[in-house]
Order: sequence, then structure tokens, then C-alpha cells
Amino acid sequence: MQASPLAHHFESLDKQAHAARLAMWIFLATEVLLFTALFAAYSVYRFLYPEGFVQSSRAIETWIGFVNTLVLVTSSFTVATGYGHASRGDGKRTALFFGLSVLLALVFLGFKAVEYTHHFQEGQLPGPYYRFEGVKAPGAPLFFALYFLITGLHAFHVVVGMTVLIVVGVLAFRGRYTVAYHVPVENAALYWHLVDLIWIFVFPLIYLI
Amino acid sequence: MPPSPHSDAPAYAPRNYLNAPETGLRSWLTTRDHKRIGVMFLVAVTVFFAVGGIFALLIRIKLLTPQPAMMSALTYNRLFTLHGVVMIFLFMIPAIPSGFGNFLLPLMLGAKDVAFPRLNLLSFYVYLAGAAVALFGMIHGGADTGWTFYTPYSTSTTTDVVPILLGAFILGFSSILTGLNFIVTTHTLRAPGMGWMKMPLFVWSIYATSIIQILATPVLGMTLLLVAVEHAFGWGIFDPARGGDPVLFQHFFWFYSHPAVYIMVLPAMAVISEVVCTFAHKNIFGYKAVAYSSLGIAFVGFFTWGHHLFTSGQSAFDAGIFGILSMFVAIFTAIKVFNWTATLYRGSISVKAPFVYFVGFLFFLVFGGMTGVALATVSLDVDWHDTYFVVAHFHFIMVGGVIMAFLAALHYWFPKITGRTYPEGWALVAAVMVILGFNFTFIPQFLLGNMGMPRRYYAYPERFQALNVASTAGASVLGLGLLIALVYLLVSLRYGPVAGPNPWHSRGFEWNTPSPPPPENYEETPVITRGPHEYDDEPAALPPAAAHEPEHAS
Amino acid sequence: MAETTAGNAVLHSHRARYLAVWVALLFLTVLTYVLARVHLPGAWAVLVALAIAVTKGTLVALFFMHLWEQAGANRLVFATSLVFVALLIGLVIADNATRFPLANPPGSAGALPISGADRDPPAVMEASPAP
Repeated sequence: MQASPLAHHFESLDKQAHAARLAMWIFLATEVLLFTALFAAYSVYRFLYPEGFVQSSRAIETWIGFVNTLVLVTSSFTVATGYGHASRGDGKRTALFFGLSVLLALVFLGFKAVEYTHHFQEGQLPGPYYRFEGVKAPGAPLFFALYFLITGLHAFHVVVGMTVLIVVGVLAFRGRYTVAYHVPVENAALYWHLVDLIWIFVFPLIYLI
Repeated sequence: MPPSPHSDAPAYAPRNYLNAPETGLRSWLTTRDHKRIGVMFLVAVTVFFAVGGIFALLIRIKLLTPQPAMMSALTYNRLFTLHGVVMIFLFMIPAIPSGFGNFLLPLMLGAKDVAFPRLNLLSFYVYLAGAAVALFGMIHGGADTGWTFYTPYSTSTTTDVVPILLGAFILGFSSILTGLNFIVTTHTLRAPGMGWMKMPLFVWSIYATSIIQILATPVLGMTLLLVAVEHAFGWGIFDPARGGDPVLFQHFFWFYSHPAVYIMVLPAMAVISEVVCTFAHKNIFGYKAVAYSSLGIAFVGFFTWGHHLFTSGQSAFDAGIFGILSMFVAIFTAIKVFNWTATLYRGSISVKAPFVYFVGFLFFLVFGGMTGVALATVSLDVDWHDTYFVVAHFHFIMVGGVIMAFLAALHYWFPKITGRTYPEGWALVAAVMVILGFNFTFIPQFLLGNMGMPRRYYAYPERFQALNVASTAGASVLGLGLLIALVYLLVSLRYGPVAGPNPWHSRGFEWNTPSPPPPENYEETPVITRGPHEYDDEPAALPPAAAHEPEHAS
Repeated sequence: MAETTAGNAVLHSHRARYLAVWVALLFLTVLTYVLARVHLPGAWAVLVALAIAVTKGTLVALFFMHLWEQAGANRLVFATSLVFVALLIGLVIADNATRFPLANPPGSAGALPISGADRDPPAVMEASPAP
């Protein structure tokens, strides 16, 4: 995070990298708990309205979620590979793989946009805006409220993660990171993996069950 | 590192964080020095403490009469909401961790700064931004929901609740950033020789606080956003008319807000652990027990939120679980209380203002804590719920605890922060007034609650008037005591006698640097060879504190 | 920082590991998708889908995020956050599941059937009585 890697109050680069990594993990923990509130709401309402949730889940396009999962998992793989190159000091390849991941993220968002458009056309909308004729069971409007909240928040994280990958990728391309100091690459990768990790749970909750 | 009472540090360090590397407003506003950020936090929280205090006094003045008077019921509702919001989000949560924690944590660890100085400054500006948004909401009319923002009322009220929600949301980020910074600092920047079991107890408690801050605050952030979404678009997440469950909101809210009580009280315990050793001139009794009980409180504090929901439709099963788990907090708190009192035993106690505040703290903690155990009993809570008994209980334990510790810290570290001393006589007068005033404010409220007076009521039956008047009288004494403290502390900033590096002869590590500390804290990285609260090897006769003529800092 | 000090052999094994994890993740994704199409009976669908998700999540956390070889503090941070996830979700659902029926939202599975509760069904939908 510093222009000249070693900040004045750290004794060594190793220690500083350890601090940055720990900070990232703590930040990821806060992200997990941010989503937890939504997952808890989802669990409660799925418990209270099993019919509405199951029917709504079947009413949306499962294959889009499936393809998006494949895309996101693959992007996580390319990010991991990019980080592997950074730890060898190969900034150019890091940039290449991060660029690839950003493209995959765009594909993900593209599918998401198609999906959202579809929901708007069908009237599969939260709360009072719900107009969908296909599912009448109670709880369906709540399903879509939570659907938009969870996937919307996740999409926001995808956008943030893309931005981080682009910035770090460009810096890596310019040769900012070395074998000795590449913790920003590692943290950017960690963030992206978390975005993937959360989607891995969103996918079954929203699309499969 | 040389033991400080005999160090040849100058009485008033000529080059210190107040005047180096620069003076001037700009250098303060762009500083990354944790000490300056801590001081800026202290100034900000003190201002908001005053604002919240004025709201409280207005409420108390209204309650002098049972009939509607002085203000409309809506204004009254807004006042108690704003009192709660300001005191909790703008004063109590940041006061000790962000203020004193920022100033002291690196000093106590022997570090040059916190792990992420820029993040630290960002935390301050996020705090200011959150405060600004909340203030905008207040000026814009303010909410009338109570600081708890219970749905469905908060999603349907016509008052402007959204800016206040967003303000609290933003303030949460400040809290998270500070907590993150402190945890990483504690892990990575301890001085050579300082293992975990040589950390000052202040650090232990602040560390435990930080854990709560980072784990609980995101849930609150999400919850407040959900309420804002619901208020704006009516998606029905918490709206029973649309199939939502309003009790779910209460679960989410208290999942943060109950641990938040420990965000407030653990730092208070942090201060008290330091004060009790210094003013008893004695090793802490049961260091490990006190240290681990901080973590214990932080952990168990997460398992108790449901005791706020005993009367709101929560299942009897959950109520039973939460009732029992809530009582575990008392065990960890009692561990601390017994260890502090055992520390006093055969100590050489000097009754200075911080020590008086320690005694007040002990009383409020024990009395407030015991009423807390009573309230955690489901059958009793059904009777007391939403009465003044609850109000008095949480004011005793949270507010009493935090104000006592905040004032103790302010006096104890005043020489460290400013390099000067305050007038002890005035301080004792103010301390006694604050403690007595606090008791006279809230003991009548315990009685009122027990008689059945509900909280948050604008008008009340005549038979409650006498005790309400007593409470207002107590609040006036409390307010006056605080005002006196403010005046002499402000005067001492400029005219107080120079304190010397260690006026209390404390063995705490933060006193090993000159007062006020130089910008880089330590000339060279200290090596820790002894525990933080060891008074064993202290010489019997202490040299008197140096009484030099003040050398003006600026 | 294991990579910086270790030799090229470790790096190669890392690359192989990433590849293996990726293939496993793809396979599990296809598997869970197919199993969902089959419509397993009752609670099994939920259990299987969540078990697969947990497996995938564990793979990502351990190997992509390197928790397998990380310092203890980082593992502890993540594990702690998961404890609190379980705590919040578990106790909140336990509440709804054991509640006095009238305290659950009307029309929901936790509440009494509409005819039994002295309330109107939610306005938006034509609710069928819950089981």
C-alpha cells in the first residue's frame, strides 16, 4: 500500500506484508458478516414461506446462474494463477491473467443484466412491485426482495473487485511488485476469491433450492 | 528501557507531537500521527458529549411536570431519539477506543504508530462525515423512532429517519476501520520482548473491543440499509403487512447493539485496569484472569442479544437460551471486579481524581450489572421491560461506566497528552459532584420503573412527579460537575503546571516516553523486559515530581 | 510468503494445485446443477446443495486463498467469522421455528393457518393455507 514498500513504523517488509494480509482477512470477515445479515433474512423467510421460495426459485432461469457460477469459478482460477506469477516477480503475466479475470467478470455482469431485464419484463420484482403471474404462493415477493438485495450487493462487489483487479493489474504490468513485495496482488486476489466464495453460496440458495 | 521514574527526560519535552513536525491547523488535519488523531477524536467526542448532554437536560426539564409543557410531544420524541443516537454512536462507541485507544495503544506497545496510519486518519474523517450526515438529519427535523429504529414504525414514520440511519451506517465504517487497525497493530507492532502475556491490560481490553467492532458492525450496517430501503421503497422485509417479520429486525439490530454495549464498556474496563494499578501502586491481581475475561466478555457478549426481545414475540425457547447466556457475562465481569478489588488490598492508595472515578465506576458497574442479571431473568423482565427500570439499568452500566472511565482516563492521561497537570482540588470536587449527581439522576429512575412508569413517555400520572423532579435535580448536579471539569481542564491546557514525564509514578509502558511524547513516540525501539503492571522492584522512596516552570509548547 | 522463499518446484506444484482445484470446482458445479434438476425428495435437495457449496467454498478458501498454508491468525479470523455466521442464522431460525404461532407473520408456515388466526391474509397475494 505504500509507494516505497517499507513504511517507517515497520521493522521489515515481511512484517509489513503480514500486517497487510491480516488486515485483508479481517476485512474479509467483515464482508462475510455483511452478507450474513442477508443470508439470515433469506433463511428465515425460506423457513416461513417454503412454497413461495421453492416456486420462485424454479421460476427463474437456473441455467444463467449455472453458467455464471462456472464463469466466476474460472475467474477465480485465473486470479489465483495471476497471483502465482506475481509471487515469481512476473508482473506482465499477472496483468494478463488479471485482465482475463476482468473479462470473465464482465461476462458475469452481462448475464446478470440479461437476467435482471428478464425479471423486470416478467414483473418478478420485490414487495409491492411484484406482478409475476407464475407464482402466487405467499412469500414470493419477499423472495425477490432478497434476490435483488443479495445479487445486487454481490454485483456491487464484483464491480469493486474488477476495479481493484484493474488497478493492481496495471501496477503489476508497470513492474511495481517484486518477489519480495507483492502483498497488494495477494490482497486483490483474496478479495476476488471472496466474491467468488459468496457466489458459491448464493448459487444454490437462489437458484437450486 | 530505563524505568521511568528516574529517567532524565526533561519535564516538558521541548520537541513533541504537539509542535513537531509542524504546528498549524493544516498539519493537524493532514496528520498521520496516531496521537494527533487520538486528540482530534477526543475533541470531537467531547463536543458531541456536550450536545447529547444538552438533549438529556432538555428531556429532564420537560419531565419536571406531568402535563404537556414546554415542547410538543413530537419534539420530545425527537429529543430522546437524538439523545440516544448522539450519545451512543457519536460519543460512547468512539470515545475511549478511538480517542484514548488511538493515543495510547502504540505507546503502550512500544510502536511508532498504528499499523495503517492513513487508514487511521480516514477513520477520523469517516467519523466526521457520519456525524455531518447525522447532524444534517437532526437539523432537517430529526427522527422520532428512538435510537433503536424499531420497525415497522421506523419504516413508516413521516420524520426524516433516513439521514440518521445513513449517518449511523457511515459511523459504523469508522468503527470498523479503527478496530481493524488496532487488531493488526497489536499483532504486528509489539516491541521486542513483549509477548502476549506482557501486554498492558488496556491493550487486551481494546483488542477484545476491536474484535466486537469488526464482527458486529457489518450486521448493523446491513440492517440500517435494509430499513432505509424499506422506508424508501417499501419492499416489505420487516413489514408484517407484506409477510415480513418485524422481530427479525430486532434480532439483527441487537446482534450488533448488544455487543455494542461491550464496545462501550470494555474500553472503560481497559482504563480502569490501568488506573487501579497506578493508584494502588501495586501489581494487578490475576493478570491473566483480567486479560482473558476481556476476551470472554467479547465472546459471550455475542450470545445474549435476544434478552432485548423477551416481550416482542420471540419464542420461549430462544428467550430461555438468551436469558441463561446473558448471565454468563456477569461471571466474566465479576472476575474483573474481584481482581480489581484484590489489587487494592494492601496497596498504597493515593486518592486522586482518577481513583475516585474508579470507585464510582465500581459502584455503577456492580449495581448496574446486578440489575442486569435481574433483567436477564425472563419473568422479571416481562414486568420491567420498557420501564424506567431498564433506562436506569443501562444508564448505570453503560453511561455510568463510560463516563467514569472517560473522566478517569482524561485525568489520568492528561499529563501524558498535554504535559501539564490539572488542579487536583477542583478535580475531586467535580468527581464527587458527577458521581453523586449521577446517582441522584438514576436511582429515582430505578424506583420509577419499578412503580411502572414506562420509558419514552411525554406525559405521566401525577404520582410519578416527585421522583421525576428528584431525577432532574440530580441531572443538574451531574451537568454542573461536568461543566466544572471542562472549565478547569481547559484552563489547565494553558496554565497547568508542567507535569514531568511520569507524575503518577506509574509503571505503565506509555510513561516511558517524555510527556508529551515526541512525534515518533520512542527515540529508539524499546525492549520490554518486565510485565506492564509490576511495582515489585519499585524503590521505596520516590523522587518528587519535577516542578519546573512551564515551558510553553507553542 | 512461502512462495518467495521456496524454489521453483513449489511454484509448479502450486500451479498444478490451482488447476486441480479449478477442475474440481467445475465438476462440483455441474454435479449440483444436475442433482437439482433431478429434484431430490424434500430436505435432501437442500442438504445436498449446501454440502456441495460448503465443499466448494472450502476448496476456494484453502487453496485459492491459501488458508492451507497461512499464519494461524488469518485462519482464526476467518473461522471466527464463520462461527458468528452460524450463530446469527442458527438462533434466529430457532426463534421462528419455536415461536408461539401468532407471533410469526400471518400466512407463513410458522403461523397458524389463516382460518385459525384472527387476521386478514397479506394483501398482495391470494395465500393458500400453509401446511
